[in-house]
Amino acid sequence: METEATVSEFQQMLSARGVSRRSFMKLCGAVAVAAGLSELAAPRVAQALESSVIGAAKGKLYPVIWIEGASCTGCTEAFAKLEAPDAASIVLEMISLNYSETLSAAAGESMELAKEQTIKECAGNYILVYEGAVLEGWGGQALRVADKPGTEHLYEAAESAAVVVALGSCAVNGGWMGAHPNQAGALGVQEYLKKQGVGTPVVNVPGCPANPEWLVAVLADVVLLSLAPSELDLTSEGKPAGIFGQTVHDNCERRGHFENGEFVYEFGSKEEALGYCLYPLGCRGPQTKANCGVVLYNNRRSWCVQAGAPCIGCCEANPNDPGHNWVEVNTPFYKRHRDLRIGDWMVQPGTIALGITGILAAALVVHGFGMKITGRMDGGADFEKVRSWDAKHPDKSIGKYDAADVPNDKKEGR
Amino acid sequence: MAHLAHYREAHPMPFVITHWINLVAMILLIVTGFCIHFPFWPYFMGIARGVHVFCGFVLFINCIARVVMAFFVKSSPTGGTRVQVTDYKTWLPQADNRHQGIHWIRYYLFLKKDHPLSAKLGVPQKISYLAIPVLIIVMFYTGLALWNPTMNLGFFAAGTDLVGGLMSMRIIHYFMMYIFICFMLIHVYLANIEGISPTLLMFFHKEHGGLVYDPEKHAIVGEDDLKH
Repeated sequence: METEATVSEFQQMLSARGVSRRSFMKLCGAVAVAAGLSELAAPRVAQALESSVIGAAKGKLYPVIWIEGASCTGCTEAFAKLEAPDAASIVLEMISLNYSETLSAAAGESMELAKEQTIKECAGNYILVYEGAVLEGWGGQALRVADKPGTEHLYEAAESAAVVVALGSCAVNGGWMGAHPNQAGALGVQEYLKKQGVGTPVVNVPGCPANPEWLVAVLADVVLLSLAPSELDLTSEGKPAGIFGQTVHDNCERRGHFENGEFVYEFGSKEEALGYCLYPLGCRGPQTKANCGVVLYNNRRSWCVQAGAPCIGCCEANPNDPGHNWVEVNTPFYKRHRDLRIGDWMVQPGTIALGITGILAAALVVHGFGMKITGRMDGGADFEKVRSWDAKHPDKSIGKYDAADVPNDKKEGR
Repeated sequence: MAHLAHYREAHPMPFVITHWINLVAMILLIVTGFCIHFPFWPYFMGIARGVHVFCGFVLFINCIARVVMAFFVKSSPTGGTRVQVTDYKTWLPQADNRHQGIHWIRYYLFLKKDHPLSAKLGVPQKISYLAIPVLIIVMFYTGLALWNPTMNLGFFAAGTDLVGGLMSMRIIHYFMMYIFICFMLIHVYLANIEGISPTLLMFFHKEHGGLVYDPEKHAIVGEDDLKH
């Protein structure tokens, strides 16, 4: 019996869920990278996970409230679609999801009660995940939940949270909800809380939908590595730097073809099948910051560009400016430029520029004919004898006009 | 022959060189810029990007050098004279320019028959040339805000934030290229429509006889046929 390998308590939990040690370590490596650490930190993450999950099994779960604002539930769906049993579901079990409109089994008054209790009893010690845009329109009545404006729900839950995770581009700055004409007054969580004077730190995780692994990475940072929000490595836009620090283009699997000058000009073409670069089809990879090409999607199966679709820049979101939402900034997706809006008229910058340049060129041709007709093409018209102004103001004349003047060749060295 | 004599003193050699560099760099920047915006010639993309970045730096450094040289190199304050002053003075308002702005515009709109007297640079010309270094510097800035190795530096990232993201920055960079194209169209047209002597002087230092202008009297005082 002494030579028999023993299985740890944690490993038993893993195998009970059909997760191999190997796939668990793979996830830990990914979480470490997503959290901005080296893959070498995987054991540290694994250890933190183990103790957390074991702690969780003993009833010490970190409470999370997941509120949906003006959302399509896509971010929840993406998160829920993590295949079960999957290594990532273990991570799910490190938190206690006390309130989620979609994932919770309960509904109605009892759920609202559970939320209120969490806010009250775990003040300063829970995470608020907010999905979807904040709607300020019509005095906050653009969105009503449980007989209250949606904004009130956010305010109450955010005020005593340890950290707010704005999940998805809508939560970051209104997303496509904030696109013109934005009648519902959509804006992002960070901007709304700032306006309301709520100082709870916000971590922005854009995407449409946000990759669930990004949320896992943030949860791992806060819950497992016990990092204070101020210790998180965030960009100037409050996004995790390890995830949103580089462009999609930087880590794209088709990048080699970009460098070679091998491009796809048409969907369904031979070039597309060869995996050439999608740049001419309006790919927003070079200007969109996210590590999609590294973490992939759907349990690391594929991602937009691998599937043959150019990046449409869904992670572009400036938290302080609902007008700078990814739909407004990137449509039409398959053109290299966005459309500019002049009133109700949408126009490509190239059309304006070429139009003006064309008009100018035509005007110069017409002007050229004028110069020809007036006989100015051979050295120009004859000079005025006296400046027009000088002729009218002889007492203050600029020039000294004297027909008897001769060139001072000596002085000028002729 | 109504134009002033074209003397080398108007465009001393250092400025002939900077003008050549401007021309070559701008043409290459525009051609490669179009290719980067949309890869019309796919296999040229890699070269286009390298040339674009290189020429961007060349144009910027050349611009700074030209502005600095304006304070050390001498050039003629007007056409038709070999007298020289420190170059920067020919960029400031001169007595020869005074009250002439409106008449230049009237001349080009065919509302004035005779040619306005002026300094080496006419009023609209002086104003548009002065805008060029500003344009080059702003263009260089927008370019570096889009160039991956520099886009994340605070100085450039702040500008990108200010204009509403990289797409806006790209469109500004793109529109500014057209400002350069429009400037070049007008510049080439006006420099050559009354004869190519100014071009021969600017590029090849080839002189051409003409009327003589006295920058002290601010008037035409005779003619120099360069003893042809």
